[in-house]
Amino acid sequence: MEPFKYNIEKYSTRQLMLVPLILLVVSLILLALNTVSTGMPVTPGIEYAGGYSYTVVTGQTDDQIRAVFKGFPLVSIKQDPAGKELQFGPMETATLNSLNSVVSQNYPNHLAVSSIDATFGKTNQSMAVLALIISFIGMSIVVFITFRTFIPSLAVVLSAFADMVMTAAVMNIVGIQLTLGTTAALLMLIGYSVDSDILLTTRVLKRQGKLPDKLAGAFHTGIIMTSTTFAAAAAMFIVSWVAGVEIMWEISAVLLIGLVADVLNTWLTNAAILRWYAVKRGVR
Amino acid sequence: MNAAAAKKLLMDWRVALLIILIVLSAIAIFPHFDRNGKLATNLQYGLDLQNGAWIQLEFRSEVVGFSSTGSTVNDVATNLSQSLDTDVIAIDATHVEIRKFYNQSDLEPYFTAAGAKITSYQQGISKSTADEVKSILENKINTLGTKDAKVNTLTGLNGVTRYVRIEMAGVNMAQADEIVGKQGKFEIRIQTTGNQTEHVLWGDAITSVGTETKSATTGNVWSVPFTLSESGAEALRNAAIKYDLIKDPSSHHLIMLLDNVTIFDAPMAASAAANLATTPNRQWQATTGTGTAGQEAAQALKIHLHAGALPVDVDIAGSGTVTAEQGAQNMSASLYAGILALLTVGLVIFIRYREPGLVLPMVLTNASEMIILLGFIAAIGFQMDLPTIAGLIAVLGTGIDQLVIITDEILHEGKVPSPNLYLKRLARALAIIVAAAATVFIAMVPLMVMPLTTLQGFALITIMGVLVGVIITRPAYGRIIMTILSK
Repeated sequence: MEPFKYNIEKYSTRQLMLVPLILLVVSLILLALNTVSTGMPVTPGIEYAGGYSYTVVTGQTDDQIRAVFKGFPLVSIKQDPAGKELQFGPMETATLNSLNSVVSQNYPNHLAVSSIDATFGKTNQSMAVLALIISFIGMSIVVFITFRTFIPSLAVVLSAFADMVMTAAVMNIVGIQLTLGTTAALLMLIGYSVDSDILLTTRVLKRQGKLPDKLAGAFHTGIIMTSTTFAAAAAMFIVSWVAGVEIMWEISAVLLIGLVADVLNTWLTNAAILRWYAVKRGVR
Repeated sequence: MNAAAAKKLLMDWRVALLIILIVLSAIAIFPHFDRNGKLATNLQYGLDLQNGAWIQLEFRSEVVGFSSTGSTVNDVATNLSQSLDTDVIAIDATHVEIRKFYNQSDLEPYFTAAGAKITSYQQGISKSTADEVKSILENKINTLGTKDAKVNTLTGLNGVTRYVRIEMAGVNMAQADEIVGKQGKFEIRIQTTGNQTEHVLWGDAITSVGTETKSATTGNVWSVPFTLSESGAEALRNAAIKYDLIKDPSSHHLIMLLDNVTIFDAPMAASAAANLATTPNRQWQATTGTGTAGQEAAQALKIHLHAGALPVDVDIAGSGTVTAEQGAQNMSASLYAGILALLTVGLVIFIRYREPGLVLPMVLTNASEMIILLGFIAAIGFQMDLPTIAGLIAVLGTGIDQLVIITDEILHEGKVPSPNLYLKRLARALAIIVAAAATVFIAMVPLMVMPLTTLQGFALITIMGVLVGVIITRPAYGRIIMTILSK
């Protein structure tokens, strides 16, 4: 079965790279804007920003709840299986004490869900950012060691970089925060998103045959690889979305976004650079 | 596939290893019906799949590395201990642990005065102190009968422990805070005249606390045995002599305070008081009364005595609760997500290959990878949490990717190859897989060595997933598929 024949013969390198490049630039601008407004490329969740959250059982609408907490740093209101989860940003002890009494007075049926010290959050945040950077550098080194040629390796790393940037930008658009769970998902993306790039590069550089056939063959295998991971992540997303398991749907959403970005970046950006390189080097 | 080929396949060491590991994993997971007739396993679950609370404490202490020409580590530690007026412990030849919080810049002049120069600075405590804190906390929590409590110290690559994370099943955040959050300031005071009291010793003078016991000889009275340090015992004796306790114990009560609240107030037994006149005593018992009330009071007192004994100040860095509803929801969602993922992945593979002879081995290999990973998780007693389960499901999706690489590489141009060509192609496929696996491995290593709360475990399991795949299941799959294709 071949519903879609991968053939990039009729497009120039520039044409192929145009769409991913525009998306990459737009994503970078979005991340820059978010950095200006929140201090981080992706809005940090309570685990990194610090803050307090409560679950309250109430029949009030979100607007009514917002009115109750006027003057407090109420960040978000979410529905969870036990009630509504109210998330507040970091605050002074005095403010926290008055917040606690407001919660107790208005919602006899409530539960303090988490409290994260702002400094502790900052420490976690810097560790997470460091982990992401080191992971990315480590991945790049592995790629360069694997191929030992500059341009093909760079194409893989660029494609992985674009995956991360686009994923982070979409996270901001759809309102997924950077939490411990989504950090884990981004790290998985760093590791997994280069699978198809490595396959593509190996097939093109180390196999005999005509270039278009090798590209099509690599796509034939690569797209099914992405589909299986996509299927697993989609299953996870659907179940956890229905069940309201926030960490899990956030992780799976990040994986899904990243996989879509990966298809784009592998089979347009990376393939285009690789074809250009192969033609230049006389590989046919 | 005939019987001889099947036998040859089973004898292949890669396939045999896979089968042995599946069996061992099944034993480690140990699915069985518990007393209530419910299906149970040896797998352990993290807090987010149960119901309970967690607290993460940060140590107000630092480990400082130094260089010095002339002074030994003990000289430096002694010198600092005096100049800073706090406990300074020598860890090794070039590191000391300072049990009070200072910035690096605040410490520099003190090190200079001690003839040393700071070479490294890290907030936290040494491994041995971390172990001590861990056991104190475990004791403290266990005595309250909290059944499922886990105390994990979070240590960085440099061996310095900055945080300790406590997870307790079945309690809410407020209760958990009450149990561990506060480090009490424990004090023993002596009654002088009327309501007047004088300080005798602080909690650091208590070196160990025993389990509460009921003594039949004294009318089933509950008591908590504890040991004082030599200086503590001396201080108690001096106070007892100075304020006349040894002659008149009943009007000079000993009072124990935790955070300035009286938790114990009783006269010393006359015989003990008389003995104290001649020699200091390090072994003591605090009696709390009879019956259940006495027992509960003894348990509480024991915890309070421990609370005074925690060697380092702590701050609550964070805490959180998982409700029973949320925990149950998370658990069932994880289960359904795993099953659904396996089914959809199988479906995608079936749509692609349409050949049960290929699809079945792929899905079964994939499932066996899950079993081996779960077996490993059960064997090391790792607590699965939501990020780990998400990681496992991702392994499900990417694990089969690599089987696709093998299959496509071997079926190159739709022809079934000769054995020689087959092995060449398998080797090429494995080369791609190893490169891909190496990237995942390297991406997870930073998390393994960072004390980023719960993500260390997630990284471990993801790395294990990669290793199991590359070392065990993919090579075995290569052999299995060869046998099937050559039929």
